[in-house]
Amino acid sequence: MKRLKFNKENCIGCQLCAQVCSAMKEGEYVPSKARIAIETYYEDGDLKYKDDFCILCCICVKKCPEGAITMNEYIEVDMAKCTGCGVCAEKCPKHVIRIREDKAYICDTCKGDPTCVKTCPQNALTFE
Amino acid sequence: MTMTGYQNKVLRIDLSAGKHKTEPLNMEFAAKYVGSKGLAIRYMYEELKPGVDALGIENKLFFTTGPLTGTPVACSGKLSIAAKSPATGTMNDCSIGGHAGIRIKYAGYDMIIFEGKLEKPGYIVIEDDKVKFMDADDLWGKGSHEAESILTKKYGTDYSVLSIGPAGENLSPMACINSDYYRQAGRGGIGAVMGSKNMKAVIVRGTGGVKVPDIEKATDRIIELLQKDVLQEDNTFVYDSGTTAFLEACNDGGILPYKNFSDTTDPDWKEYNDGVLMEHRKGKRGCGSCGLGCGNFLQIGKAVCEGPEYESISVAGPNAGIKDPEHIVKFNQVADDLGLDTISAGDTIIWAMEMTERGIHDFGIRFGEADKMISMLEMMAKKEGIGADLADGVKKASEKFGGTDFAMQVKGLEYPQYEPRGSWGMSMAYAVSDRGACHMRSYAPNEEVFAASIPPYTAEGKGQMVYNLGEFNAVKFSLCVCDFWGTITYEIMAELLTIVTGREWKPEEMAEVGRRVLNIGRAFNQREGFARKDDTMPERLAKDPLKSGPAAGQTIPREAFDDMLDQYYKVMGWDENGCLPDELIETL
Repeated sequence: MKRLKFNKENCIGCQLCAQVCSAMKEGEYVPSKARIAIETYYEDGDLKYKDDFCILCCICVKKCPEGAITMNEYIEVDMAKCTGCGVCAEKCPKHVIRIREDKAYICDTCKGDPTCVKTCPQNALTFE
Repeated sequence: MTMTGYQNKVLRIDLSAGKHKTEPLNMEFAAKYVGSKGLAIRYMYEELKPGVDALGIENKLFFTTGPLTGTPVACSGKLSIAAKSPATGTMNDCSIGGHAGIRIKYAGYDMIIFEGKLEKPGYIVIEDDKVKFMDADDLWGKGSHEAESILTKKYGTDYSVLSIGPAGENLSPMACINSDYYRQAGRGGIGAVMGSKNMKAVIVRGTGGVKVPDIEKATDRIIELLQKDVLQEDNTFVYDSGTTAFLEACNDGGILPYKNFSDTTDPDWKEYNDGVLMEHRKGKRGCGSCGLGCGNFLQIGKAVCEGPEYESISVAGPNAGIKDPEHIVKFNQVADDLGLDTISAGDTIIWAMEMTERGIHDFGIRFGEADKMISMLEMMAKKEGIGADLADGVKKASEKFGGTDFAMQVKGLEYPQYEPRGSWGMSMAYAVSDRGACHMRSYAPNEEVFAASIPPYTAEGKGQMVYNLGEFNAVKFSLCVCDFWGTITYEIMAELLTIVTGREWKPEEMAEVGRRVLNIGRAFNQREGFARKDDTMPERLAKDPLKSGPAAGQTIPREAFDDMLDQYYKVMGWDENGCLPDELIETL
């Protein structure tokens, strides 16, 4: 089973991953609503990385009190069952689940063909 | 007609009253000037009446994005910051990387205009439609890096920070605006305009987005262009070594300046070239929406910077008679933190070195004195000691102390690090640039030296060449797309604009926009009283032959310089005095 991998040495912090994710999923270039959030920044004289992306740990699947989240090759949220309670977002170790208008939005690897990986100009994101 | 890609909104902030409002973007201006550079200048022409004091309350700051900003178009993440320049009195538009431009767009604005002046030092917080005026008591007086660190820790990395250092606070005409620590709106004293408004920083976060028609198809094509056109060797050299790659090319080409432009080429250039600098690289970085990642984060000893870029390397290296790479990185870091333009500050210090060595005036610093060069930066930023004599740049300093022949500047903006005796067209490019001597308007060495497509040591054809280069950059920086997408063409530009705005743009229109942007900049300056008399060349270039390198023996005779000016004015449709006729101004 393939999952997203992040190679920080290659990342230039362009955030194209979040832009194209939101394009595919939200119909707009709006990274605040993307299912991935990777950035680089300077702090205390050093270059740091924030890499929030779904690693398919499935903690959200286990913790969802409504059983709304399932995992086959990728995570899927049954929006009819999802109440937006936020437990998944709270438990997600990568802090990458977004709750908006009472629904949870979780990366589904674009159903096994992740756009972020295809876009990353420096091969910082791979799917393997 | 409506165009997508734009937010159709301008945020106007009245610093004096502590109020803000929004208004629609002037779409007539956008249709003619597109965005970023061009749009900013057109707004400046409209809103800054002639004779405004650049450090006075009537000057304004224009933070301008373009329709491509906030889309995945490669290299589209830059922000234009424009105002009237306190260094030159001309218009000034700077281009800053990082993420601020994109976040301004996601906050919902095409442009933010700052008017008036805060009563006391403060910073502005912009989060989508919320604007807050905050006290900067605990920030004022601090370096730009410390200020950015405090603000980022307080508000989080979702915010971009644009800040000034002590140089901007002290209204230095070389003050810059920083973001992401090591990106600058560098030249023409743009930081002093911010300082004159008592603004220490602007921080911005945006949770909105940018809409384009048929977004999946649009994104496919945009990413295809990224993969196929941007990520090819002609462009990716900047990933490998940033602009340090220019060192070898300029040295070989005889245009690397040496000891205040008194000569060219440095036989020891390998002591500080990309081979040496990249050994100390700790990480790579790019701007938002970049594909190339030109930023090299490196550390030598205790000196740290993202850079250094070619300009800083040259001015703190061979042009200062120094070969120490650690010094070069330290110079970069200290200048960035003080909020000083490395080009102007460096050029002024190396002029002072020559003045001292020639015995014309003792500024207490000679070529090769690296430590003094660093401490001079601090004195200049704070206008203390000898720094006070140098703080206003080489033009004013040479008017007071002598040495005007080798005060390398045009209109009060100091010379970038390309020796025009080795690339004659560059002398004219510096002279006619819209903001004083700038290499980012018409980059003559590309044709005269690197591509060798035109002989470098003649005046022939240089009018048309400088125009073609200038037109290209003018439209490119109005979309905007960063310089480093070197292989972009008018066809690609038109296609990208069409995809994003939903309006059909043709390649020929790119040339028209470029020409218009060149003209509106000149029209602004003309209204301020600038004309041929101000399109100057330092006497050194006419009088002192180079001694080394491929251009050894070269000077640029005055007749040749005048000929190049005449050619350029003719191509632009200006009169012999370099002025636009009324009919032309009306078309703008």
